[in-house]
Amino acid sequence: MPMKKKLNLAPAFFVGPHVILFVVFILLPTFYGIYASFTKWNLMNEPVWVGLDNYRTILFDSKSTFHTQFNNGLKNTFIFVLLSVPLLIIIPLLVAVALEHKKVKGKSLIQSIIYVPGLISISAGALIWLLLFNKQLGMAGNVFGSNVSWPAHQPYAWILVIIITIWGGVGGNMIIYRASISGVSQDLYESAEMDGAGTIRRFTSITLPSIRFPLIYTFVMTTAGAFNVFGQPLMMTDGGPRQSTHVLMMYIRQLAFGNGESIAGMASAMAVLLGLVILAISALQYYVMNRNAA
Amino acid sequence: MKKKWGLSVLTLVLMLSTVLAGCGKDNSKTITFWTPLTGDDGAYMDQLVKDYNATNPEIKVKHVITSDMYTKLSTVLNSGKGVPDLTIIHADRVPGYVKQGVLEPMTAVTAAQPEIKQENYLPQAWSTGTINGTQYTVPLDIHSNVMYYNKDLLKKYGAESFLDDNVVTIDEMLSLKGKLAEGDYVVNDALLGWVILAQIQNLGGDIQENGKPAVNTPVMKQAFEDVKKINDAGLMTPFGEDGYLMFQSGNVLFSTDGTWSSTAHAKVEGLNFGVTNVYSPTPDKFTNRSSSHLFTMMKNKDRSEEKVAGIGKFLEFIRENSIEWAKAGQIVASKQVNESPEFKNYMQSFFTSSEKEIKSLYIYTYEYYPYIAEAVDTYCGDIVRGNVDIDETLQTMQKFVEDKITEGTSGAAK
Repeated sequence: MPMKKKLNLAPAFFVGPHVILFVVFILLPTFYGIYASFTKWNLMNEPVWVGLDNYRTILFDSKSTFHTQFNNGLKNTFIFVLLSVPLLIIIPLLVAVALEHKKVKGKSLIQSIIYVPGLISISAGALIWLLLFNKQLGMAGNVFGSNVSWPAHQPYAWILVIIITIWGGVGGNMIIYRASISGVSQDLYESAEMDGAGTIRRFTSITLPSIRFPLIYTFVMTTAGAFNVFGQPLMMTDGGPRQSTHVLMMYIRQLAFGNGESIAGMASAMAVLLGLVILAISALQYYVMNRNAA
Repeated sequence: MKKKWGLSVLTLVLMLSTVLAGCGKDNSKTITFWTPLTGDDGAYMDQLVKDYNATNPEIKVKHVITSDMYTKLSTVLNSGKGVPDLTIIHADRVPGYVKQGVLEPMTAVTAAQPEIKQENYLPQAWSTGTINGTQYTVPLDIHSNVMYYNKDLLKKYGAESFLDDNVVTIDEMLSLKGKLAEGDYVVNDALLGWVILAQIQNLGGDIQENGKPAVNTPVMKQAFEDVKKINDAGLMTPFGEDGYLMFQSGNVLFSTDGTWSSTAHAKVEGLNFGVTNVYSPTPDKFTNRSSSHLFTMMKNKDRSEEKVAGIGKFLEFIRENSIEWAKAGQIVASKQVNESPEFKNYMQSFFTSSEKEIKSLYIYTYEYYPYIAEAVDTYCGDIVRGNVDIDETLQTMQKFVEDKITEGTSGAAK
C-alpha cells in the first residue's frame, strides 16, 4: 500500500472557528485565571507568585476579611441555589405538562409570554420589580397591604431575589421540556390509558422517564448557572440587609474590579474555589441522576 | 483540489489581514480620548469635543465613552497597546496611579499652555493632581455631595430659618421631631457614605494617621452617632426605601445627593427646590465631600510630541469654553468659566459664590481612600439604622481596609 495520505483540511475548517473562539475566550482565560489565583496581582503590574497563600487566607485565616467574605458569599450562594433550582425545574415542568393538555388554547401565546422575561435584561427587569414592590408606589404595599420595605428585610429580600429569578428563568427550561415531551410517542399514553393509568401515573411512568436526559441536562445547567448568580441580588438588594444576600460573585467582582487598587489574585482564588464547587456538584448530580435513571 | 484550498486560504488570510489592519490604522492625526461618562454627561462632553473639532485644530479629538473604563485601562496598560492619548479619571484614582507609575506628568502641556496653571482653577481640583511637586492632571470639574431642599415643605413646617447661615445643623433637623405629617421626612439617605465622610471633616478628624488608615476612631464613631440621631428620631426616610424618589415626590425636606442630580430634579413637575450645604453637627463648619473629573495622560511611549501639543490646545479650549459642562450640573473647575456671569445661572454656582463655599468642597486625597470609602459605603446603612453594633462594625471596617491594603501594596511593591 502506498503511503500516500491525503491531507484533508475540510474538517478543520468546520471545527476551526469554534476551536479558535473556545481557546481565545474560554480556555486561555481559564488557565490564566487559575495562574492568577496563585499570585498577588493588581491588574497593572506583573503578577507576583505567592503559591497557595491566597487559598490559605481564604480557607483558613478566620480573622481575614477575605475569609469572612468567602464564607458569607458561599453561604448565600448556596441559599440561593437551594431556593431557586428546585423551583426552576418544577415550575417549568408543570407548565410544560399543563400546556400539553388538549383543552388548553393559545399554547404558543402562553409559551411566548412565559419565555419573554428571559430576554429582558436583569437591570431593566429589576427596576420594574423594585417599583412593583416599592412600599409607597408599588403593588405589594397598595394592593396587598404589605408594610415592609422588601429589599431591606429578611426573608423578603430573598423572596424578591427568587421572584425575579423565577420570572426570568422559567421560560428557558419550559421550552426544553415542551420540546422533549412532544417527542414522546402518543401511543404510549393511549395504551397506558387503556390499561387504566391515571394522569399522575402517566406522568411519573411515561413522561418523566422519557425526558430523563433533558431533565438531567437542565438540572445540571440550572444549578451551575445558579451558582454564578450575580445580577439579581446586585440589582434588587445590593447584597443587603447586613450582607445577607451578598453572593460570592459580588465579592469576587468587587475585589477585582471594585474601588481602588484591584485585588485580582485573591478574587481569582475565590473564583477558582467557586468553580471547583460547581464542578463537584455538577458531577455528583450527573452521577446520581444517571445511575437512578438507568 | 489542492490549488483550490491554497487559494481560499490565501483569500482568508488577506481578508483577515485587511480587517485586522483596520484596528491598527494610523492614529497619528487623532487624539483618542477615553472618559467614563456613561450617563447624560457623556452627551455634554460630546458637544464640547464637537465644538473643539469645529475650530479645525491640526489634530482632532475623538471622544470614546468607555463603560468599565478602569478595567479596560488596566488591560491596555498591561499590554501597552491601545492606550488612549487622553483620559478623564476621578480624583481618588490619582494617588494609586501615580504610585504605580502609569501617569505621564502634564509638564509638557503646562509648559506649552501658560494659562493652564493653578491660579486659573479651583485650588483643590488642581492640587489633587499635584504629587511631590509634579502635576499629573488638569481638572475639568468638581462634583460634590450637596443638599437639596424642598422650598414648599420648608415653608410648610416653618423651617426656612434653617438656611439662614448656610449650615443646616443636625439639631435644627431634630427640632422637627413630632411636627411632621405622616409620610413626610426631614432627610433621605442618598449618598449616605459621602455624608459620613463629610462629618469626619466637620468634626475635625481624618481618615488616616501618618499614612495608616484610621477607620476605627472616635471621630468616625462620633460621625456615625450624630447622623444616627436623625434616624433614631424617625426623621430619616425608612431603610431600604428610595429616598431620592421620595424627595422628588415631595415628601422629604432635604436630599443629600449630588450636584449632577439638579438636572433630574428640575425635570420633576411641581418640585420647587434649591440647593445648600450638606448638614453638619456644628454651626461652625460645613463640608461637602467632593470628587473631581481630571484630564490625564496614561503612560504611552507612542504618544508623539505633536499629540501632546494637540492635547494642550484641547485642554486650553476646555478651560475657556467649558460652560457647556455646567449644564451637566457640575461645578466647572476653570475660574474663567465659574467666575463668568453665565455660570451664575446654574444652581451649582452656589458652591463657588464665596471663599468659604469653595473651601467646603472637600476632596479626599489619601492613597487608600477608595478602600475606606468602600468600607463606609458597605456598612454605613446598617450602622445608621442601628442594625449592627457600632464598635464591632468599626473594627470590621478597619480590618476590611487593612486587609485590602496588605493585598494591594505587597503585590505591587515586589
